[in-house]
Amino acid sequence: MSERKVIDARGSFCPGPLMELIAALKLMQVGDEVEILSTDQGTAKDVPEWAAKVGHETVDSGEKDDHWFVVVRKAK
Amino acid sequence: MTTPPLYIILSSLDRDKMQLASMIASVGAVSDRAVHIFVSMGAIKAFDKTLSGNERYGDSPMNAVFCERNAPDPIEMFTQGKMLGDMTLWACSMVLDVLEWGEDRLVEGLFDGQMGLTKFLSDAESGQLLTF
Repeated sequence: MSERKVIDARGSFCPGPLMELIAALKLMQVGDEVEILSTDQGTAKDVPEWAAKVGHETVDSGEKDDHWFVVVRKAK
Repeated sequence: MTTPPLYIILSSLDRDKMQLASMIASVGAVSDRAVHIFVSMGAIKAFDKTLSGNERYGDSPMNAVFCERNAPDPIEMFTQGKMLGDMTLWACSMVLDVLEWGEDRLVEGLFDGQMGLTKFLSDAESGQLLTF
């Protein structure tokens, strides 16, 4: 059964949220998902761009209250 | 198509340049792209293991605000990029020679060794070269 992990990277400057996401994905199984929360607006575009480049899947993204969120599914 | 490697020559101790170089290097290395860094001139002093935190870096237009806001430390970003991605760091053999430093003077676990400029430039012909 796949797992979803939430990483609260609010307050972390670029590229901190991306690096935290990558560190978490490395420890997860294919099919698992990571949701990253960030107050860095760049994360909302950087993370989907990174995921597409390296072959993972962005399953959701958007803005919620005072932060942005992106959900990435590990695909390989 | 494989992304060509990214080669970075770090020569300035300026915090702004060190900050941007470490961001580009770490993000590049975790994006299926090999990153190779040649550390020379004053930049080598930022990797002196006897220093810590913000005392490593030279002043720059953004230095004060980076310190005040606890911006990510460049050395930690290089370390993170190396741990999570495909990155090598090489210390300029000429600068170590002039400073009379051994590799043991540098931050532990970060460098892959010493290299001469000629070899690095030759390798860099296969990719994109940035200098800071």
